[in-house]
Amino acid sequence: MAVNPKYIGKKYPPSTYEVGREKVREYADAIGDMNPLCRSLEKARASKYGNIVAPPTFAVVYAKEPVGRMLLDPDLSLNLPMLVHGEQEFEFHNVVLAGDEITTEGEITEIYEKKGKDFVTCTTTSKNQRGELVCTGRWTFVVRG
Amino acid sequence: MSDINTVNPGDPTPEQKNKVGKYLPIYYAGASGDFNPIHIDPEFGKMVGLGGNILQGLCTMGFVAKMHTDWAQDPGRLKRLKVRFSKPVLPNDTVVVKGTVKEKGGGALRCEVWAENQKGEAVITNGESEIEI
Repeated sequence: MAVNPKYIGKKYPPSTYEVGREKVREYADAIGDMNPLCRSLEKARASKYGNIVAPPTFAVVYAKEPVGRMLLDPDLSLNLPMLVHGEQEFEFHNVVLAGDEITTEGEITEIYEKKGKDFVTCTTTSKNQRGELVCTGRWTFVVRG
Repeated sequence: MSDINTVNPGDPTPEQKNKVGKYLPIYYAGASGDFNPIHIDPEFGKMVGLGGNILQGLCTMGFVAKMHTDWAQDPGRLKRLKVRFSKPVLPNDTVVVKGTVKEKGGGALRCEVWAENQKGEAVITNGESEIEI
């Protein structure tokens, strides 16, 4: 069943995520990122950043809430067991540090059908507690046949 | 490893190998919050035709990002990364991240990047990245 393109432009309300030092370390462990700036408080404090730095793809942790809302949106009725992640793009505008509060908004920016599969894209915009843009994400999912 | 500040268009990026442990999808679920059963439940993965549980695509993307941030020795210099997930990564696979420098200018490198499993099959294609130098 095709996803109705009338939902392009639908927005999901902002959600705020506080970046924890141990969460950053846990995430760095998962992807095998050994960079001391992401792990050692002492080294991070002595660097130009002044605090533990989140690996760039930590964006998946702080920006995922509106994407999750889209995936479970009854308006779209996505067939979740048949859904796979097709493409992902991140633009990293500013680093994210432990202690930052990141607020993310989401909007459906694409819905289309290609070769019998449905494609849906959510674009997320994440800002820190100073209102600075930190990351733009484009999350594209495909519903297999 | 080639020096990120002196490479030129046409040069390869570093290659980076990542072992996917049997339980990495479960660990990554905890670290990222992505507990979709296709990642943590082999029975569910079989039921939906994936042959078992598969690694979160975003974890593989994390490997691709890490090649860049290790190369730059700075998590703050990766400015953009785009990937297509072309084939599932399975527990016990090995993911090798590779790339080529396409352009240099404006204080940044623009690279074409991809990732392969241990059989040489592409698991990430159409990758594009931009990293400050």
